[in-house]
Amino acid sequence: MRAARTAYPLTWRIMDALEGVAAAIWPARFRRATPYLMLLPAVLLVGLLVLGLIQIADASLRTLDTTTFQFSDDYSTANFRRALTEPLFLVVAQRSLVAALIVTAVTLVFAFPYAYLMVRTRSPGLRKFLLIALFLPFFIGQVVRAYGWLIILGNQGMVNEALGLVGVAPMRLIYNYPAVLFGLVQYMLPFAVLMLAPALTAIPEELEAAAGSLGANWVRTFIHVVLPLARPGFIGAGVVVLTLSLTDFAVPAILGGGSHDFIANAIYDQFFRTSDQGLGAMLALMLVALGSILVGLVFALFGAGTLAMGRSRV
Amino acid sequence: MKRFKPTLSHLSRRTFLQATAALGGASALGLRGAYAQEPEKPAEIIVRAWGGSWVDSLKAGVSDSFTKMTGIAVRHDLTEDNEIQPKVWAAVAQKRVPPIHINWDTTTNATKSALRGVTEDLSDLPNLANVTDLAKPAGLEGFPIVNTYGYVYVLAYRPAAFPDGPPKSWKDLLDPKFKGRLAFYNDGIGFHFPAQVAGGGKLEDIPGNMQPAWDFIAKMKAQQPLLGEDPDFTTWFQNGEIDAACTISTNAREARKNGVKIEWVVPEEGAKFDTDGLWIPKGLPENELYWAKQYINHALTKEAQQVWLDGLGLPGVVPGLTPPKDLVGDPSYPTTEADFQRLIRISSKIQVENESEWFSKFKAIMQG
Repeated sequence: MRAARTAYPLTWRIMDALEGVAAAIWPARFRRATPYLMLLPAVLLVGLLVLGLIQIADASLRTLDTTTFQFSDDYSTANFRRALTEPLFLVVAQRSLVAALIVTAVTLVFAFPYAYLMVRTRSPGLRKFLLIALFLPFFIGQVVRAYGWLIILGNQGMVNEALGLVGVAPMRLIYNYPAVLFGLVQYMLPFAVLMLAPALTAIPEELEAAAGSLGANWVRTFIHVVLPLARPGFIGAGVVVLTLSLTDFAVPAILGGGSHDFIANAIYDQFFRTSDQGLGAMLALMLVALGSILVGLVFALFGAGTLAMGRSRV
Repeated sequence: MKRFKPTLSHLSRRTFLQATAALGGASALGLRGAYAQEPEKPAEIIVRAWGGSWVDSLKAGVSDSFTKMTGIAVRHDLTEDNEIQPKVWAAVAQKRVPPIHINWDTTTNATKSALRGVTEDLSDLPNLANVTDLAKPAGLEGFPIVNTYGYVYVLAYRPAAFPDGPPKSWKDLLDPKFKGRLAFYNDGIGFHFPAQVAGGGKLEDIPGNMQPAWDFIAKMKAQQPLLGEDPDFTTWFQNGEIDAACTISTNAREARKNGVKIEWVVPEEGAKFDTDGLWIPKGLPENELYWAKQYINHALTKEAQQVWLDGLGLPGVVPGLTPPKDLVGDPSYPTTEADFQRLIRISSKIQVENESEWFSKFKAIMQG
């Protein structure tokens, strides 16, 4: 005789009910599609981004009438032509691109020894110290960090005060291009270390020991073993630092003294200072295109690195 | 004819009771009538404002007394004027309730919103009967904005950097010793017009031919000036980063209040005079619109203007205001015709239609 349903514990009955609901919503024949269901939130997010891009693309083809401050109903390429011909936009685009390349190169050079030491050190204390020093800046926002540099490097800042003690007159250490590059490198360093560390962890220490046992000194081991095997990490870190630097807004705005703008600053000006959202949208699209081309080039030349999750061309 | 002047001794008990009853009835009816006309009060009114001494002055002069008078709290939204603009425009276009009740804005920016048709008409404010011509936005129908005070983009300087006396001309800033020690607004606002004169051009040529201004600005670019926003100027003076700046006198006065030795002048070429104002975005519920208008009406009272503008150190739009003691006879606080003759005023319409181009031109020179 079959037992009454009430004979089962309450929790069992709740679980049965939940399973029934789940089976009604997502029948067993759909089970093969379950992994795709998991992708749905990400697809929705990306879809929203694409919708935003479509709206931006629509706005970029409309021109501003300064007698009514309304946008044209018709599409035109006027904003595209302005973006390509006005010297201001060419200057800031060139500055952003050059800065992104310099910052990427310098950051990778600084990040590598840090990541290597963090991964290879035998001292748990040192590893903890390096990890804390790495994560601490993440708790302080980019703007606060940039303002911190104003306090340290300003005319009456700590560095100039120290220089004053040895008789050196105060010098302008901020509000120039090198200060922007410096601020960006300092901001990007933790990102690069975090991207490099997994790649270095994946290199078996035995390989370095084997190279040593075959007579290679540490320089040859480094050049012929460590660097090639760390390439996926370099590519991943490089792509992240390159794109973040190219699109940065706060560091050029705060440390550049107003005369070392990047593309993002020019976009802000169009959206919020001159109310020309059409031109701002066009510049934003061109920035997206520039970033995408750069990343595409890196992937084409070197593979996707750690960003390919182990499927990259090494 | 001798007027009858009643005294208490002439009043009989009956007359007194009749008169009191009539007065009481009338006032009760009047009050009830007045309340009946007043729409429901919102819990708060949101006023967009600039931060620092700007919002402190508004709060002390207008917002606190408005709250005391009406019981409606005033919340100050410190979103930048340039950043609130697209949000308000989008809200009106999408027929949503705008994010603020009142925008404290530059007249040029506000004029853009008026031209776009997102501002409420304020012509029915009773206190507009008592204001000077400065309150009326030039070139616009009615009162989509009410200007509430004027201000001057002065040449502010550290006296220690000018041992031979105050600068007389904007050209004095071209002295090589000021390289890297000057500051301007990052879009050049306030400097375009004096630069036109300093560069040998004429104000009448604006906007047709501003080449003299661009030539002069290009010379100034060689001085590697810092470019920033209002709060930057006060900070830069305080931190000893700059010796001179083209800035609104309020910022220089704020630095002086903070103990920085700083003075300002209107150079011989003149200085730009402009106005700020208050406006209400379209799309507010009827009762909130009513109380937002009451706020602006209150801001136009002599009492509110006196306290508000004492804090800012700027001349208002209500006759009879007393300048703060430290600004009596100061060129940044123009009160007479002679004072205004030294200042440069260009219509909002010309500024609005050309501002984008001027900003781009200034930026192109400075970023180059």
